[in-house]
Amino acid sequence: MARKQPIELFMPPNMLKAKVGGGGGGLDLAAMERAEAAMEELQSEFGDWIADDVKTLIAARARYAATPGTDSRAALLRAAHDIKGQAPTFNYPLIARVAASLSRMIGELPGGFPLPLNLIDAHVSAIQVIHKNGMQDTNDKIAQALCAELDARVDEVVADASK
Amino acid sequence: MGANDYRFDRLKVLVVDDNIHMRKLVTTILQAFGVIQIAEVDSAERAWESLREFNHDVVVLDWVMEGMSGLDFIRMVRTNPQAPNPFVPIIMLTGHTSLDHVRQARDAGVNEFIAKPVSVKTMMSRLVAVIEHPRPYVRTTGYFGPCRRRSAINEYQGPERRVENPKQQAAE
Repeated sequence: MARKQPIELFMPPNMLKAKVGGGGGGLDLAAMERAEAAMEELQSEFGDWIADDVKTLIAARARYAATPGTDSRAALLRAAHDIKGQAPTFNYPLIARVAASLSRMIGELPGGFPLPLNLIDAHVSAIQVIHKNGMQDTNDKIAQALCAELDARVDEVVADASK
Repeated sequence: MGANDYRFDRLKVLVVDDNIHMRKLVTTILQAFGVIQIAEVDSAERAWESLREFNHDVVVLDWVMEGMSGLDFIRMVRTNPQAPNPFVPIIMLTGHTSLDHVRQARDAGVNEFIAKPVSVKTMMSRLVAVIEHPRPYVRTTGYFGPCRRRSAINEYQGPERRVENPKQQAAE
């Protein structure tokens, strides 16, 4: 009696390789050089981009404060998450770190648990200060202390919520 | 052309991100690579429409978006009968960096994973990976997508163990 085969494993035809060619299997260094040059040119816009992202975060915070709920919470998380991912590219690693702390708090607190507005504000204010003062050095002692404090406060809130 | 020069100008790439800056960043890198045919959309819903209309060759996808998430989009592409190409390579570009998130993306059917911040080298390496090292696909009762173990088909290079017992082989 034939045994059933619950797992089918197969290799589809490699249409991409047929389309783009290339034989070495390595990185296209010439294309990478062009891309690095394009990124350099783009850097002049990064200041405006991070400013836009901070504005979006402030607006999301205001929306959550006015109408706390699933939608406004999700919008706040998206704003914080975007900054967490993008700020290092825009040369603001400290902002990324604070945004990561805010994302973690929103992500780890249970859905029905109201987000502590004072701690949201502490994060948003920290991001505004770092941005306003152009703080891009991750070794800044004051900024490091601020980030550590925010991390600790988030730890406490998350721990309390899980009790 | 050098050995590693690809005809990226022949690729149709779909960039899906609800953040306009990230879309511009990714598009700038892809254009510098030589990709000409780039479609940008700001939601997974629009990505689905675009994919069905243009059948893109590669998708660069954000995870956290309003409406349908990147993960749900991947599942839709892999399993919806209306998907134009369930094998389309999907490169997930996300701020999620934990191992658990990588697992979730893998279990949804992502081909490659890029943790933000994005870099030129990482983008190139993932693009080359989907061209040069495509994964075999797996279909089980609960999953369809790229094999979640790398090199699953090629990892055993020895002789066929069951050849010595053709009766058993035939029975299976």
